[in-house]
Amino acid sequence: MEIKINGKKYKANEGDVILDVCRREGIRIPTLCNFPFEEGEFKKETICRLCLVEVNLTDKLVPSCAFPVCSSLEVTTESEKIKKAREINMELLWSDHAGKCVKCKKNRMCELQSLAEEYKIDNFHFIPRKEDLTNTEELDLLKDNKTRVVVEEENPAICRTTEFCIECRRCINVCPERKFGFNHRAGDVIVGTPYEKVLECSFCGECVRVCPVAALTDKNNFSEITEKLDDIKKIAVALVAEGMEEKIKKQLLIMGYQKEPREILKSLGFEKIFDFSEKDAQDEGLDDFKVQLSRKEKINMEDIILFYISSNISLKKEKIANLDYILSEREIARLARDKKII
Amino acid sequence: MNIKDNLKIITEHWGKINPLKIRDYIDVGGYEAIRKFIEKMKPEEAIEEIKKSGLVGRGGAGFSTGEKWEAVKKNKGEKYFICNLDESEPGTYKDRAIVDNNPHLLLEGIIISALAIDAKKAYIYINGRYIKQREILEKAVLEAASNKFIGKGIINSHYDLEIEIFSGAGAYICGEETALINSIEGKRGEPKFRPPYPTETGLWGKPTLVNNAETVSNIPWIIINGGKKYSEIGSAVSPGTKLYVLGGAVRNSGVFEGPTGMTIGAVIDKLGGGLKKGKELWFSQIGGSSGRLVLENELDNSLTFNKKSEIPLGSGAVFVFDKHSDIYDFLLSIAGFFRRESCGKCVPCREGTFRLYEITERMKDGEISERDKEAIKDILWTLNNTTFCPFGKFAAVAFLDAVEKLKILDL
Ligand SMILES: Cc1cc2nc3c(=O)[nH]c(=O)nc-3n(C[C@H](O)[C@H](O)[C@H](O)COP(=O)(O)O)c2cc1C
Ligand code: SF4
Ligand code: SF4
Ligand code: SF4
Repeated sequence: MEIKINGKKYKANEGDVILDVCRREGIRIPTLCNFPFEEGEFKKETICRLCLVEVNLTDKLVPSCAFPVCSSLEVTTESEKIKKAREINMELLWSDHAGKCVKCKKNRMCELQSLAEEYKIDNFHFIPRKEDLTNTEELDLLKDNKTRVVVEEENPAICRTTEFCIECRRCINVCPERKFGFNHRAGDVIVGTPYEKVLECSFCGECVRVCPVAALTDKNNFSEITEKLDDIKKIAVALVAEGMEEKIKKQLLIMGYQKEPREILKSLGFEKIFDFSEKDAQDEGLDDFKVQLSRKEKINMEDIILFYISSNISLKKEKIANLDYILSEREIARLARDKKII
Repeated sequence: MNIKDNLKIITEHWGKINPLKIRDYIDVGGYEAIRKFIEKMKPEEAIEEIKKSGLVGRGGAGFSTGEKWEAVKKNKGEKYFICNLDESEPGTYKDRAIVDNNPHLLLEGIIISALAIDAKKAYIYINGRYIKQREILEKAVLEAASNKFIGKGIINSHYDLEIEIFSGAGAYICGEETALINSIEGKRGEPKFRPPYPTETGLWGKPTLVNNAETVSNIPWIIINGGKKYSEIGSAVSPGTKLYVLGGAVRNSGVFEGPTGMTIGAVIDKLGGGLKKGKELWFSQIGGSSGRLVLENELDNSLTFNKKSEIPLGSGAVFVFDKHSDIYDFLLSIAGFFRRESCGKCVPCREGTFRLYEITERMKDGEISERDKEAIKDILWTLNNTTFCPFGKFAAVAFLDAVEKLKILDL
């Protein structure tokens, strides 16, 4: 069938929603809750209210991520009304984040931040309301209409803080083990585990991958890592898992940089870089690598700092002997950003 | 107003029969509608009568009851009927009054509604705070079952029906039918995206009819007296009687039955007995916390469920404010209610109701800034235009009117 978008005709398939057609045709519509979890599979939450568009069938704004196409459909994706809706809803989310970016782990890799830039949300009317409250401060601040946040960094692989959470539900929808849900309601909503318990799971890392903000991030001791990378007496060795170069490239692109991952790794202070495939991992084993290297190159074991560059953050749980750190593509990008090499 | 002014359909036996005794209800002609439905009518004929009656839902949206029944009826297989008794809007307690005064009328309506759409199971979703009402209903269900109005082979026919009473946790949003269904299924009480509509995919994925308790209470009368007769009562666009819940500066507070289409002035004067001595009318709120505010010069508006009507009847609550009422207190209580009760699912409502409350507090303290005024405009606009479910719109109504009609702010 054919539908009209902004006055032009486009092909649409039975069962498409408006956003499907716009994505195919390169028509820009901002989204936050909507996310391709698997190839082509979108869960339609329709809750961020940023993808609203106008259609000829109703006076109301409709969510393009869920509105099905039909043959007589005419869609408008940019209008004063749509702009207003996006700006106000963005501002409502942004007002809770304003001023926090500079120190944020996700700075320049954050979807909310880039949308705020796109929509020029620079002035905001509201005071951030989520704060990590200590007991003594708690009562006073609650009076000032602040809400409580939950921080959990006791699990082996993921830092969780609801201070940055925008309740988009991506983590809830993506998690194969259904670890997350909505706790409480209204402005007190907290996305987290039941009874806010410490996260226990297989640590597949999917939730960290899809979180648009810094509510779910990789866990590592970053100051220690930078120190060791800069230490000239130590030899930093990177084992790069299969497919990681592609992932690092993509991650850098989010910040607008096109650089060779190898170059980046070198600039970060890695003295030796090895490709390390699944098969290598099985043949040699991660725990044996340092031993072999020390023997071959005659370097003291203590002077080798071994990094495994991989998305498989579940290994953090296993505490592999003779492996010092596991770094994901997100953390490589973060290190590069902090060292200002990009 | 017409000759049927004093016709009582729901409240007829209130105060005259013992609500805890089924015998009392039967003695005044109760459960005759079920008998007529089972012995003399096909379900299709009953649906036809309801359609003819012009009855529309009393839960607020005003959708045609007959059409909704038909939509569910035409589906095959397992189906459910749910009576919506969540009623959590502050100042509205008409459904509770029905249970308190004549629970068997409600049960009779539920049984006919369920059987007409071929449902074998009906739920009464009752507000978790209605503890006494739950007990009344439990007793009524037991008595109705021992009189063979519920259970297997209802009054020796081929009809079966089981009724379960389900207490909600007292969340206002669970009155919204998709959130209500989530709640019964043990999920988080939040609305679902539509389509699919509950009439197609409802409780446990099966076609489900949800009707408000007051809507249901009209059914026995229509079955006995015919749809045509009902359609002649009250306003032509949404016929019948309505339970008005009066409160505030009126002489008589409480639940009163009157025809639809009464003017606001008539509701206040004829049902409410006018204003209390020494009180002077400032404005009224029509239809509960989510209702419009009306000034004295709007008292001639007649109250109907017409989609186009300026002042929707909503829950039927009419709250009258005296000249000396504190408008900021009022707005703060409304803002507080919507802030607390938002399910938190969508951005404009979760964040907007939070911010609206915050600013209303400053407004009450006389500390409102230019920045706040800008913000209020934006919040009200986004609540009104972009939220996931009608709750957001509800949260903005009273404020918009307070700004426009009461000129509380110079925006
Ligand atoms: C926020 C919200 C709250 C609602 N609360 C109630 C309620 O408490 N009781 C009710 O009967 N309907 C309530 N409704 C309407 C229901 O969704 C539904 O339309 C109604 O129960 C259908 O019954 P009716 O056709 O008999 O009116 C609410 C709707 C919304 C959006
Ligand atoms: S790491 Fe994987 S399993 Fe664990 S919570 Fe995140 S998505 Fe779920
Ligand atoms: S933790 Fe991240 S992914 Fe999950 S709801 Fe919050 S912002 Fe969204
Ligand atoms: S408008 Fe949004 S947050 Fe508010 S009750 Fe409806 S779904 Fe929940």
